[in-house]
Amino acid sequence: MPEVKLMDKLASKLREDAARIDAEISTQLDSRIHASLNAIEPDTARRQRQPGRRPVSFWLASSLTGVAGAIAVIAVLNLVDTEEPAALPRTVAENTMPPIQIPALDLDVEAAMLTGPLAQELEDLQADLKKAEEVVRRDVRIDF
Amino acid sequence: MSDELKLIDAAKGGSVDAFSKLVHGYREGLFRFLLTRCSSHADAEDALQDTLINAYRYIGSYNPQWRFSTWLYRIAIRNAGKLRPANLAELGDPADHSADPLAHCIADSERDNLWRSAKRVLSDEVFAAMWLRYVEDMSVRDIASVLERSSSWTKVNLLRGRRALELEMNGKAGNAGSEAYG
Repeated sequence: MPEVKLMDKLASKLREDAARIDAEISTQLDSRIHASLNAIEPDTARRQRQPGRRPVSFWLASSLTGVAGAIAVIAVLNLVDTEEPAALPRTVAENTMPPIQIPALDLDVEAAMLTGPLAQELEDLQADLKKAEEVVRRDVRIDF
Repeated sequence: MSDELKLIDAAKGGSVDAFSKLVHGYREGLFRFLLTRCSSHADAEDALQDTLINAYRYIGSYNPQWRFSTWLYRIAIRNAGKLRPANLAELGDPADHSADPLAHCIADSERDNLWRSAKRVLSDEVFAAMWLRYVEDMSVRDIASVLERSSSWTKVNLLRGRRALELEMNGKAGNAGSEAYG
């Protein structure tokens, strides 16, 4: 029992002491808080102002319209494909343009100039190979 | 529907007046609590302002199954927690209590305020639990929700907090007696 009394005493002391803490809200703080609250709005109010979700029937109608449009386009394209191609008017068909005369260019000269150094290089390499082969043959002969 | 719920509905619709009426009764208690949590009076003011702004902005997320005060205190603790780390460097000498908002708010004749001792001997969370229990009359379930702790943690730490404060109270009484008779 005395423990319970002590608990009650502690609780009442804590409550009294908390009430002694001066927590007066100044007018400046009050006006600051009020100004801040006026500057914002709750998320719920913002969401309510935004256009709501469209009903399911709207999306169904949109889908059906899209499908119907696609079918119509496909049908029209198929009809166009089955028709015979229109014949060209006789005047347009007969008046053909004469073939364009392109002057022949001497392209071999340029090709020879480009491949000349490579051909020389190939000859030099082949000569080097021949010399190396001779050296090897000679060494082999010396060895035996 | 209670008046509080009507005001909450109006506030959800964007009525600042309804929200101001709704929180009017809670503001002083909330500020008193924040004074015990923050490192300065200015911080407590900022925390109160932030708490009310956040409460108004996110009032749509309030679940009426909880008391409105529980929800408000939860926001307040988060805001006080955000301010606290940045100000730790400004505290200076821990023995210097001049920055303690509690010291400013308690009159000189009441320096033996038990909450000052509580702040010294209890951890922040246990202090908050004790405050919510004995000043705000919250249930263990509500305190656990505010502190985002389990009910068992809350019960155990309320008991520990009580014991620690009993010792403080008895110790002070004992000291006062010895001084009187010494």
